[in-house]
Amino acid sequence: MAPGGVGLPSSPARGGATAEVRALVPDVAALQAALAAEDYLADEGLATALFLAVRLPQPILLEGEPGVGKTEAAKALARALDTPLFRLQCYEGIDAGEALYEWNYPRQLLAIRLAEASGSGIDEDALFGPEYLLRRPLLQAIEHPGPRPAVLLLDEIDRADAEFEAFTLELLAEAAVTIPELGTIRAAVPPIVILTSNRTRDLHDALTRRCLYHWIEYPSPERIAGIVRRRVPGSSERLAVDTATAIIRLRSLDLVKPPGIAEAIDWAAALAVLGADRLDPHHVVQTWGSLLKNRDDLDLALARGADWVAGS
Amino acid sequence: MAELTERPPADAAPADAAPRVEPAAFAAGFVASLRRAGLPVSVDGAARLAESLQVLPPSQRSVLYWTCRIVLLSSRNQLPVFDAVFSAVFDGLLDPADQRGDPNAPPAIGSEASTRPAPRDDLAGRRQEPQGESGARAPAPAPAAGPADPGAVERETILMFASLERRLHTTSFALLSAEETEQVRHLVRRISLSTPLRRSRRVRPTHADGARLDLRRTVRAAHRTGEEPILLVSSRRRERPRRLVLLCDVSASMEPYTRVFLTLLQGAVAGANAEAFVFSAGLTRLTRQLAIRDADAALASAAASTADWAGGTRLGDSIRRFIDDHGRRGLARGAVIVVLSDGWALDDPAVVAAQMARLRRLAHRIVWVNPRTVAPGFQPLVGGMNAALPYLDAIVSGHSYAALGELADLIRAERLDLRSRPGTTTSTVPEPEPPTKGHDHAA
Repeated sequence: MAPGGVGLPSSPARGGATAEVRALVPDVAALQAALAAEDYLADEGLATALFLAVRLPQPILLEGEPGVGKTEAAKALARALDTPLFRLQCYEGIDAGEALYEWNYPRQLLAIRLAEASGSGIDEDALFGPEYLLRRPLLQAIEHPGPRPAVLLLDEIDRADAEFEAFTLELLAEAAVTIPELGTIRAAVPPIVILTSNRTRDLHDALTRRCLYHWIEYPSPERIAGIVRRRVPGSSERLAVDTATAIIRLRSLDLVKPPGIAEAIDWAAALAVLGADRLDPHHVVQTWGSLLKNRDDLDLALARGADWVAGS
Repeated sequence: MAELTERPPADAAPADAAPRVEPAAFAAGFVASLRRAGLPVSVDGAARLAESLQVLPPSQRSVLYWTCRIVLLSSRNQLPVFDAVFSAVFDGLLDPADQRGDPNAPPAIGSEASTRPAPRDDLAGRRQEPQGESGARAPAPAPAAGPADPGAVERETILMFASLERRLHTTSFALLSAEETEQVRHLVRRISLSTPLRRSRRVRPTHADGARLDLRRTVRAAHRTGEEPILLVSSRRRERPRRLVLLCDVSASMEPYTRVFLTLLQGAVAGANAEAFVFSAGLTRLTRQLAIRDADAALASAAASTADWAGGTRLGDSIRRFIDDHGRRGLARGAVIVVLSDGWALDDPAVVAAQMARLRRLAHRIVWVNPRTVAPGFQPLVGGMNAALPYLDAIVSGHSYAALGELADLIRAERLDLRSRPGTTTSTVPEPEPPTKGHDHAA
């Protein structure tokens, strides 16, 4: 059961965010505005989620339909905080060598040969010095000197296997990594961690327990229009609104792959390149390809007709 | 703790815009409410919520909502219950009796949940489907629908009666008594399913020819020989089994087989890391429940959380749900998929065909288990079954223990023979040709 009425946090003391971050992100509205300044329109829920992730700080797990802006959220947060983003795309079989660090073996071999040729002895310490270390995203994020924390994006964590998940968590909880030859590297500023998942498998409880969680809903037409306006230079207000409405209309069909925000942006960009300042059936016919990427879906939309999509 | 639960909300309910909450007490109480409603909120959830409420004081109802939701939930499908509990607590759905007590009384620390007034338990269920209620409660008193594990003694008994076992092996599940069904389930539990191997991204050292030179291991090995890479280490890709996904029809027409099939599912989840789904009117992922509890209880809890359980089978729709929500994201890609269904469905066969075509494009192999194929003169005239046929690699009856053994073979095979083996009820399906009772139709 939950710790009965004693409600003091029993988790290890996390200092909370540094004063600088606190000043930068005083409240949810400020973060929302900062993200908007980076052309990322977050609704209240997402802004709250990111705010807590930054301020607690605690890793956050973002889920949502494909193309709803999970990865983009991490990028925008990094820009808003003006810190580097380290992204680790997870895949099956990913291991420490690809996520954390690897020694630059070809270079080491080269150095050995060179030392032999020149007759000078080889110093093993030199061979395992920082210059022979290939830093992968996790290590980069931990080594980030600050002053503000880096943003670490673990994209599609569900694709990695459970062992990797556990390894990553341990590392993040410690915010330190031990490399046998070099010693322990401790994070000066623990990174802000954002994980995304497509739910191809159930994530381990240990992971979900340590993370905040936010399901990103598909945005309203107004928000889509706003996003399109910001992301597609040269799109007119009218075009943005038309695009958003048409996308919502298409989503009402029983599509295999309903167009997401990414498709909305691509589509509006395509329309803008074609010189459209509003949506008409002719433009729809020209640009099916940037909108629907599945034969069945296309058939379904064609049955309704371009006029219907364009709303005319 | 129960006393604690609704007090802060009750306190705050009148102030609609800005609920006044004391973080620690509120967090503990709210978490207790969620847990009573059956949400798996972790033990330290209350502490983390309290901490978050200090970082982000809830000035508005929505702030409180988002904070609670973000901190406490871990999956999208928890949202409906969460929303119901949250609005029950804040939107005046409280039992009026809650407010009779002195709101300023100190919370009774450690008071047992069982001391709470009975009606309050309905808080969570009130906004849910009526069927949802039993499932929405705390999982602890899960309805033990099945017998409480007959235990090993009975298994010993089975082994003593060889002839009985032989009978059990070949008799259709539908013809077994309840007792025999239990015995067969013990047998079925022993079936181990495994899938063909495929190459993974992980490597292992090897001495075989044709492998890649593994620089990492070679240099490591060179440390022992004065940095002289004398030993060249090669590596090659490891192989790992393909994913196994089982979709089991649990509608009324499959009822005689459901219990045994669920046991099969359970064994597959435990032994082969399979993913298990059940469907009738809707689709439910059962992997997790099967991994942690008795198959009958898992089904009961799944039934409780699915609103449209009692409706007719929607085969095409269920497959669509599987593909949309799970399959195309990776679950079905390159997987061996087993569908256990008699193909009786309400959907338009065209829908079934379309969805099977999509599944075909994702999966490595699709095996269909239809107990009705053993009936004399079986013809796949049932719309759904007929529509699915062209997309199957094999169809098998799976009606008895022996027939399930064939299923295991079909799942395991590196490659399916296009010729079905004589004397079995197995048919591979090279052509969209209706399989007959199973003797060599491909010949």
